[in-house]
Amino acid sequence: MIDDLCDKPFDGVAATAMFYCDFRDQQQQTTTNIIGAILKQLIVRSEVLEDVREAFQKAKTEVGGRGLRLPDMVQMLRQAVATLPQVFICIDALDECLPKNLRELLVSLKDILEESPRTRIFVTGRPQVKGEITRHFTTVIIVPISPKTDDIKRYLEEKLEMDTECDAMSDGLRADILRLIPQRIAGVYVAESAVPTPCMISH
Amino acid sequence: MKNVIADDNSEIMRWLSPLGPRGRHQDVRMDRLDGVGNWLLETNEFQEWRSNEGGADKAILFCYGDPGVGKTYLR
Repeated sequence: MIDDLCDKPFDGVAATAMFYCDFRDQQQQTTTNIIGAILKQLIVRSEVLEDVREAFQKAKTEVGGRGLRLPDMVQMLRQAVATLPQVFICIDALDECLPKNLRELLVSLKDILEESPRTRIFVTGRPQVKGEITRHFTTVIIVPISPKTDDIKRYLEEKLEMDTECDAMSDGLRADILRLIPQRIAGVYVAESAVPTPCMISH
Repeated sequence: MKNVIADDNSEIMRWLSPLGPRGRHQDVRMDRLDGVGNWLLETNEFQEWRSNEGGADKAILFCYGDPGVGKTYLR
């Protein structure tokens, strides 16, 4: 989806920033650092860079080169987003954020939206973060994701195509695999370890 | 002069955040099978979100699902 937004920004002026939350990196993925990582991606636009550079020079002159606090960071992102015609922000796996960070992040995003309502924000996560999101954004558009039969078929076909021992596979077995696995996944969605899902795709 | 500006920029980048999310995006992109997750782009929800017509009310699109359903690999 990010590629789609990057490849075809609809008026050619949209900027895209993305972030992947990762529970293994929770210590470093503080709200301030996440907002900073998003801002870093918008800096490629010269109009944003100038403002940030100014803030950086100012911070440097203060004793000890003070580190950035969350409100400073949010303010800088707010300003950057407001400067640009349109910004897409994509954040994956919100459930992998610490609860405190998730709350701060949602409040910060709300802040940015208030000033720049044209901003489009795309987030993903497990069902348990739904409550927290709807608490902050009452009009959020929600789409449940489940493995799609077509996606699974495409994945299986690719895997079978790449099979290095294709002699061991009879046409009947091949047909059974292509028929039964998507059928079973469509019927009951079972744990990811039991069946290949689009998430486990590799070449 | 050019180098001074480049150094300055990398210092600003470090000041903003130690995190670099682009790397993960490249991994996901390389792993993803073409076409997987395309269905999302066709949904009314996605179109509504992307069209901008709803302003701030339609600004957030949230896709949720259990572990392993392919949220990260949506296209």
